[in-house]
This record gives sequence, C-alpha cells and structure tokens, in this order.
Amino acid sequence: MLSRTSISRSCTKALQRHCVCRRTQIRNLAAAASGSFQYETGEEAGVKYASRDLPGPTTTLTVVAKAGTRYQAQPGFSDALEKFAFKSTTRRSAVRMIREVELLGGDLSAYHSRENLVIRAKFLREDLAYFTELLADVISKTKYAPHELNEQVVRVMKLGQKHLLANPSHMAINSAHGLAFHRGLGTPLYPTSSTTFSKYLDSEEIYNFALSAYSKSNIAVVANGTSQSELSKWVREFFEDAYTGGRKLESPPSKYYGGEERIAHDKGNVMVIAFPGSSSFTSGSSWKPEIGVLAALLGGQSSIKWTPGFSLLAKAASEHQHAHVSTQNHGYSDAGLLAVTVTGTASHVGKASHSVVEALKKIASGDVSGEDIKKATALAKFQALETGQDINAGLEATGSGLITGGKAYQIDEIGQAIDKVGEDKVKAAAKSLLDTKATVSTVGDLFALPYAEDIGLKI
Amino acid sequence: MSQPSLAPFIRSRPWLKRWMVPFANWYASAQGYRKLGLRADDLIPEENDTVQLALKRLPPKEAYDRVFRLRRAFQASLSHQLLPPEEHTKPEEDIAYLGPIITEIEAENQERDDLEEMFVPKRKQVAASAKKSH
Repeated sequence: MLSRTSISRSCTKALQRHCVCRRTQIRNLAAAASGSFQYETGEEAGVKYASRDLPGPTTTLTVVAKAGTRYQAQPGFSDALEKFAFKSTTRRSAVRMIREVELLGGDLSAYHSRENLVIRAKFLREDLAYFTELLADVISKTKYAPHELNEQVVRVMKLGQKHLLANPSHMAINSAHGLAFHRGLGTPLYPTSSTTFSKYLDSEEIYNFALSAYSKSNIAVVANGTSQSELSKWVREFFEDAYTGGRKLESPPSKYYGGEERIAHDKGNVMVIAFPGSSSFTSGSSWKPEIGVLAALLGGQSSIKWTPGFSLLAKAASEHQHAHVSTQNHGYSDAGLLAVTVTGTASHVGKASHSVVEALKKIASGDVSGEDIKKATALAKFQALETGQDINAGLEATGSGLITGGKAYQIDEIGQAIDKVGEDKVKAAAKSLLDTKATVSTVGDLFALPYAEDIGLKI
Repeated sequence: MSQPSLAPFIRSRPWLKRWMVPFANWYASAQGYRKLGLRADDLIPEENDTVQLALKRLPPKEAYDRVFRLRRAFQASLSHQLLPPEEHTKPEEDIAYLGPIITEIEAENQERDDLEEMFVPKRKQVAASAKKSH
C-alpha cells in the first residue's frame, strides 16, 4: 500500500536525480545550439538513436517502431498497440504514470501511421532521464492486461472509428490507398466497421505483436533538443532490457494496382485522384524528387493569401468557387502515392476533377512555361526543408530511416537534390502518370459525382 | 474482502500455521457449501461496485462455470437436497478465482485515493533539502 510519505519520497528521489543531471548540463536559453539541423546518429545497447541539439528549454523524445498498419499481424493491432502506450506497466500503474508526468510537466502522445508507430514525450530538458526510463518501460514492461483492453482501449478505438466514419476526406484517402496497394500499405489506417477488429483483438495476441514490434532491431530513439552524449548515456542504461528476438515483422514489397471505388456519404463530397508517386527521402534510391516538383506544380493551394497562386490546379479551380483542391505525395519506404484531393459541393467537385486531368495532360504535352516549373521547384524545396525542420515529421522520418538502415532526414542533401530537377524530368513524370492505371476514390453524393471514365482517366 | 483478517499473521508464523491450517480445512468442509458444488469465492456478496467490476474482469470460462455452479446450488437448495458425493467440490478445486481480482481493484482504488491526497513540495525546496542532507 502506498502511504503519503512514501509517494512523496519516491517523487523526491526522482526529482533529486534530475537535480544531479541538471548540475552536469546547465544551459540557458541564450546558449547556441551545439549542432545544426543535422542529426547525430549512434547505437547503444543494440538500439539505434539519433539526436540534434536544437536550442530551447524543452526536449522531444520519441521511440519510433516499424509497426504501422502495414506490418500489423491482424486488423486493428497497430491501433491497439498505440492505445496501450502509457497503460499499466509492471513498475507503475497508468494513473501513477500520468500523475508523475503531470507533476514534472510534460506531454505524452502516441500515434501510428501506415508504416510507423511513434511514442512521443515532450518535457523540460532536465527531465531527460525520467522520460527515457518511462518510454523504455512503455515499450518493454507494459502489462497488456485483458481488463485494460476491454475497459479502456476498445472503447477509445470505437470512438476513433466513429470519428473516421464522419470524415469523408479520411475515408477517401483510406480507400485510395486500399485501391492502390491492396494489402500492406493499402490496409486502412483505422478500420471502418467495428466487427472488423473486435473479433481479432486479444490481449495475448497484442502482447505477441508487441514482442516483435518493440524488439531492439525494430525501434529507433530520436530526440530533438538534447545532446548526443546525454541521450546515449540514458539509452544505454534504460533500453538494455528491451525485447529481443521477436518474430521479425515483414511485409512484401509494395505493388501498385489502381482502380475505382465509390462510397455514399451524407456529410461532404471528396474525390481523390491518385497515381503512383515517389517513396520518401529516407528510403534511399527510389526517391524521385521530380514527383515532389510535379505535386507543387499541380498544387491547388497557394501559400500566399488573396491570390490563387501559380499552380495549375489553383488557377483552374478558381472558376469553381466551392471546390478546394490540394495535391500531396504520400511517401513511404518503398512506394508512394501522388494524390490530388478535391473537396466541396458535389457539382463543383465534379467540374474541378475534369481540370485535374486536363492539367496533367498539359504538363505531359509540354504546354507549361519554364517559369512555372521553376516556381514549382522552389516551392517543393521549401516544403521539403520545412518538413525536415518541423519536429514531428522529422522525428518519424528519421526514426524509420534509421530502422531500415537508410539515412536520417538530413536537410542539406534534400535541398540540393530537388534543385537538380529539370523540366524534361517533370514532363516525363507526368506522361508516365497518365499512362498508368489511375486510382479514383469518390465519397459523397454519388448521383452528382462523375465516374473516372467521365473525367478521362484510364481505370 | 476488505475486512480485517488474521490470516496473514498466521501464515507468516510456521508454528501457528502448523496448528491452524488443519483446523481451517476441517472448518471449510464443515461449512457445507462444498456439498452444494460451490467454491468459497462463489459466496462473496456481489452487491457492490468492486465485486461487480471484478466479475466483469473474469475470463469467459470462469464466468460461465461460476454461473453453472450457482444455478446448480440454487436448484439443490430449492429441492432441499445435497448433491451426490461425486459432484461435491473437492478441496483442491476450491480455489480463489475472484479474490485476487477484488484485491487488485481495491489496490487501484486505494492508489488513486493516495495520489489525490499526496503532498508535493516544490522543486527548489527539494533541491535545498537534498543539498542539506548531502
């Protein structure tokens, strides 16, 4: 039983350790950062880590595991594993963990994407030891109790499902990925119907998935705002007894299929027109910077107010006021999806989708000025560099790059590579997109929204 | 479950345990619930939130077996009969399947109450007292 004094004593001990830590690493806000935006990588106790010492009073520490929906054993497992983060461990209960973090001051979160599971903690610099121990406990000592699964995790998963069902954009992107990649990358990020996961969820099975997902060869520790020596010391101490030797999580190489899907929905109209894109920068050789430039050239959203901007789709969609167009390349480790999303009222979405295909044909035939391509190159470079600077995206990309043995997200190299993209590469990319089978997902008022054949795409 | 008990006191003293355990075993058999096919944990009063939650946490097989034992015992009680000797609960089957879950729930509630009442000194005070003690 915990008495008042014993709790305050153990908190005192934890706080004392930070005070010791603090004496050895005293920084004030005005001190210059030791490094640039480049990551310093290393390996301790079998676990790869990377850090960059950005100035500021806080540190962001993440554990990235290659356990996204692509690698999950059964439906809903990635989501369940994410929601089991910060539940009871063998060392402390969930309530106590949250109270301790509240007392120290910090922010805990976990999320999963199609390829990665990310557990993140943000805290003050001097608490690095405590939070490294906390994250190490989360990945190696969580109990995965059946009653926690039934009372807490499943409830939250079902609420998340309802949230997804009410969101046509999410449904359209999920559907586009499913059409494009079938299994693997095509697995929906969150299951859309409750029976799809509840029959597979079992705390024993989730524990087995965690043994593989959180094994030392499958995780990376990435930190922003702390020095490499500090991080390596605590990683060596706390990640020593992480899981080893779980069954390796594997997924066959992605293959692009394509197709069309139409889903009726009351609360909005979305059309996603997608093509095989480029994998992400950290994947190595299969990264195609011309796809990023093509995405910026198609565009749709201006970064400058009160003007539609230079991008072709923005100019075309300015006639259809109630349609909102945006283009993005979703890059993964071995494939990508270049997706144009059109949302708005049904009639305007239908009309705007015609202009998407026309814009692509224009680029492929060379009917676009060199100045526009220069602008697109500059915008693509800016977006890539800003992504690297942005803490969240950089952390996940670096972590997944480290696990697959590729590179960390090093900003300098990415900028140079995008600069080298020329006009003919962009035109060739557009031509190859039009030749492949497209992926079209339509969600909303199906009576008013056109088919892929109607807008001139090959399915 | 949260009533005061001498059991831990007795179990930790081997000389006392040697004397008390045979008597306790005889008493449990003499109570007669085993002749109705019940286990001791079937008799725990369930009209409170803690035990209700513990019952929800039972594994499905245990829950099903518990319901079967309760229905069989109730029927035997209605007909004013004891079960035939082969259906009596054997002492080695009379395990505590619900008690540990109840203890766990009570510990969780107690921990929550303790955390509510905790006193937290500020960091500077803690650092000052640490310096003093060093």
